[in-house]
Amino acid sequence: MIFLITASLLISLILGVLLTLVFFPSAQGKAGLLFRCFAGGGLGIGVTACIHFLCLLTGLRGFTAAIDLAVCAFFGSILLIQYRKRRLRKEWDLPPEWPLSGHRVGLLDQGDRAKEPAPNAALPSRRGSPLQVLTIAVFSIALASSLISWAVACLKEPHGRWDAFLIWNMHARFLYRGGDRWREAFASGLDWSHWDYPLLLPLSIARGWAYAGVEMTHFPALMGFLFTFLLVGLLLTSLFLLRGPIPGCLGALLLMGTPFFIYMGTSQFADIPLALFILTTLILLFFQAGSPDHRPGAALLAGIAAGLCAWTKNEGLLFFVIAAGSLLSTAAYFQGWASSLRRTAWFLAGALPILLIVLYFKVALAPTNDLMAGFSLSALTEKLLDPSRYGQIARAFFVTGISFTQGSFDMRTGMHLQLGPVNILLPAVYLLITGIRIDPREKIGLVQTASVLLLMTVGYFFVYVLTPLDLNYHLLTSLNRLFLQLWPGVIFVVFMIARPLQADWPGDGPEPVPLPARPKQGQRRKTKIREAK
Amino acid sequence: MADLTPNYRIRAGTLLLLFLTVYAVLNLLVQSLETYKELPEKDPVTLHEERIAKLKGALPAFGEVGYVTTVENEKIFAYERAFQNVEFLAQYVATQYTLAPLIVRNTPELPLVIGNFLDGPPAPGFLEKYGLAPIRDFGEGLILYRRDLRP
Repeated sequence: MIFLITASLLISLILGVLLTLVFFPSAQGKAGLLFRCFAGGGLGIGVTACIHFLCLLTGLRGFTAAIDLAVCAFFGSILLIQYRKRRLRKEWDLPPEWPLSGHRVGLLDQGDRAKEPAPNAALPSRRGSPLQVLTIAVFSIALASSLISWAVACLKEPHGRWDAFLIWNMHARFLYRGGDRWREAFASGLDWSHWDYPLLLPLSIARGWAYAGVEMTHFPALMGFLFTFLLVGLLLTSLFLLRGPIPGCLGALLLMGTPFFIYMGTSQFADIPLALFILTTLILLFFQAGSPDHRPGAALLAGIAAGLCAWTKNEGLLFFVIAAGSLLSTAAYFQGWASSLRRTAWFLAGALPILLIVLYFKVALAPTNDLMAGFSLSALTEKLLDPSRYGQIARAFFVTGISFTQGSFDMRTGMHLQLGPVNILLPAVYLLITGIRIDPREKIGLVQTASVLLLMTVGYFFVYVLTPLDLNYHLLTSLNRLFLQLWPGVIFVVFMIARPLQADWPGDGPEPVPLPARPKQGQRRKTKIREAK
Repeated sequence: MADLTPNYRIRAGTLLLLFLTVYAVLNLLVQSLETYKELPEKDPVTLHEERIAKLKGALPAFGEVGYVTTVENEKIFAYERAFQNVEFLAQYVATQYTLAPLIVRNTPELPLVIGNFLDGPPAPGFLEKYGLAPIRDFGEGLILYRRDLRP
């Protein structure tokens, strides 16, 4: 049973890593491989959940594993063909073993400029300064502490918290136990369980149980663990690649030092998976901003990740629209309409298969969303023109914005400021101390990322303005989770714009950039012979 | 343009972040260790599941059953919305969670009805009002009823 569960997760991981290798081949080196594992891990879980859904729809539930393996084999073959082509090209044009620095993956495709070493590139040495050693040591302690805290929370509540057994794990049980009658739950009228919520998380759990052939109580908790620490790892490795080990560790530390993050990770809610897919989209959008139009891989993968956001939670649909809109408008502004349309088309192409699944689910299976029920133009206008709602929401945004890192509010006492050691003010103070520096080459990517985060906050604001639910109840029970979904993205932006430590000690800067190796004597001779031929 | 920000400012910022984040992480660890000492043998959901699971043999695997508890059905959600009492809703949700894919409806108006009286019996006359006749008592406040529609 353990073997089968492990196999289900390994297949997801392999598929995700294969997707990153096929569509985004430039991130190399150890940090690049780790980045692939963390970004690909999330993508793999999401894509295999989609495959499982298609298996349920077509009555091929028993063949999920075989279909997963076939999809892996398909992408594996593409990778093999790509690898052979690249090897041939290398033999003819380039010296062999030209490793591309991981931290330049986003800048790699910018043409000649990318071939210049980055201004803050450190020497190719692995030695670190005392500060780096201290940071890594503190990070290791924090990681171990977070793992222990996570384990204790899971022992305390193995079924997760309220929404886990009210919604997500409940849906997983219906999908798994329902057999061929799994559709019945959606028409059950059990509105309190929100059957209109997208199915990525319940499907991932049901898929694991289907592999094992038995319903393991602790599997949802294991999925919670994976999503939580994939998110930490993704933030760590992306900042490590782009800014070096110290910002990488600091970003991950800031996330682990957010008590509400660990709390939500153990809660088995869908907010942490959504935060993972949001961060994956933002990072891949950042990378695509530095790529030329003819390299669509990062945009395609960003589209897949954004599609998975829409398949995780309803907020993901808003995120998808905003991410696509932001990509279209910022690329048009900075790179022209032709480039913008091409990039957006690739982004949409990546998202399309998943969006079709979401569309089918919403049209054919899901009941009406509780926020859309009783929706009318007069009610909408009344709410939009009510200034007291704006005031109440603005106050809640301010209080929750400062307090959300500390956890949920007590329903009986309502909202009040909770200032822990880690809150939104800490990165602000950090930026004030270090100062801000934006690399002109990264400007487009950063504007894109920041605009998505800002527009999401505005979008959430208006969802509350229009909510048919009791406003106070709705704000109290959800706003902190919405802020947490965006928090990893905010941390990413903070460390991308913070002035970096000048690498006066080898190893403090970003991942070293090895210079192109001179071709060996024999290789040079072979190339000359080929050229002569 | 040359970067004139002294490294000491960046180091100071880094040390501040390190100190505060590790403080937060260790604070959480201390709380977790205290929680660990007081961990009950089983969590409430598992306990409730074990209790409700006794019903499984007496119920169909699919279809739907009704539900009654100590308070009237419409109060189960009303109490939670008013932040008064989530216990009744938690018991109902845990019942559905345990018995899925059988659908447990929050109503006494179905041929088979689960009575979950962990917090005491319902108001006098409630069961009679809906014509609920007990089929089997499973103990611990768990009774299965059949709805008798005869006048």
